[in-house]
Amino acid sequence: MTAHVKDKDAFQRLNFLYQAAHCVLAQNPENVGLARFYCHTQKTISKRLVLRQDPSVKRTICKRCCSLLLPGITATIRQRRHYGQRRTVVRCLSCGLTKRFLNNPNYKLWAEQLEALLENQPKSAQSPNVQQTQQKEKKNVKSDTK
Amino acid sequence: MEDAIYKTLPSAEAKELNIQVLVMEFLGDDAVLLSCPQGPKESEAFVSAFLKRCLPGLREEVIQERLNRKAVILEHSIKQKKKQKRKRRKGLSAKEKRQLRLFEIKPEQQRYDLFLPLHNLWKQYIRDLCNGLRADTQPQMIQTKLLKADLHGAFVTVKKSKCPTYVGLSGIILQETKHIFKIITKDDKLKAVPKCNTVFSVEVDGFISYIYGSRFQLRSSERSAKKFKMKGSIDL
Ligand SMILES: [Zn+2]
Repeated sequence: MTAHVKDKDAFQRLNFLYQAAHCVLAQNPENVGLARFYCHTQKTISKRLVLRQDPSVKRTICKRCCSLLLPGITATIRQRRHYGQRRTVVRCLSCGLTKRFLNNPNYKLWAEQLEALLENQPKSAQSPNVQQTQQKEKKNVKSDTK
Repeated sequence: MEDAIYKTLPSAEAKELNIQVLVMEFLGDDAVLLSCPQGPKESEAFVSAFLKRCLPGLREEVIQERLNRKAVILEHSIKQKKKQKRKRRKGLSAKEKRQLRLFEIKPEQQRYDLFLPLHNLWKQYIRDLCNGLRADTQPQMIQTKLLKADLHGAFVTVKKSKCPTYVGLSGIILQETKHIFKIITKDDKLKAVPKCNTVFSVEVDGFISYIYGSRFQLRSSERSAKKFKMKGSIDL
């Protein structure tokens, strides 16, 4: 049995919207407006319910105009040099906003690091966590009885 | 200032005194008032003495070195780089958004068959949301799920409406705004149907549920956070 996830419906909805945007663009690459609309609703939902989106999702949505960034269709991806550092530059074709990512193979996102996992939290911070997990267990018991 | 000195001195002397003039120039107006010696050697001695007096912190060798090597640039105008004011704001204002027409669907793309995959995706989504639709699942559960589900891609029919021309219209929902469903019909026409005073029916795998549009007048993103009240009379 999978663990109980809060706001599961909302997460499913976000997932659907992201997939729908991809689906629309795959059917018709010209139809940027509708994909943008779906990404916009996705963004507003996640803002409203304070749900974190994965970096891989956030990096494929333009911050300014909310369009889905697909290389070759709605965005260009270039390798550029800047002050001796190589970086990947993603440019949105509809509004012109650029995203820059340094090419650093050792870079790790917070979510990829081992510390981010709940089991690997340092001991000093563990006491509130224990309470939280206990509460979660209680909730789970309640939901089971239902 | 240089011209003024050149005028008072004979031109030959002025050439020899070039270094001295430079020094004067460098130090400012007070230096001009100093007496000018004649001849190259005298002027050289004058300059070294003058510098020794003016720069007490430095040794003689250092001063000589500087005289030989260091270039003093006269009339140096500092080129001020005009920093272009960067726009702090990253997003667009509401006016710009409206002018860009971000969310519009162009008439060439209003074709029904292009959106069939979207409808299939939506069906999968609803099935997943209700943990697999079976014949024994309670319709109540599906309704509560549908209330917060996304309706983009759903196939709907208008069942009742205050405006009789809307009745019987059916198609796939493409956009949902606060007051309007944008529906694409099977004959490739994009219709905007107001939610107010209209009842829609949604069909998922044999389950039919009705949506009372008057109660649905929200932006689609706001709906997932809203709590619906169960009671209340519904009238058209
Ligand atoms: Zn953009």
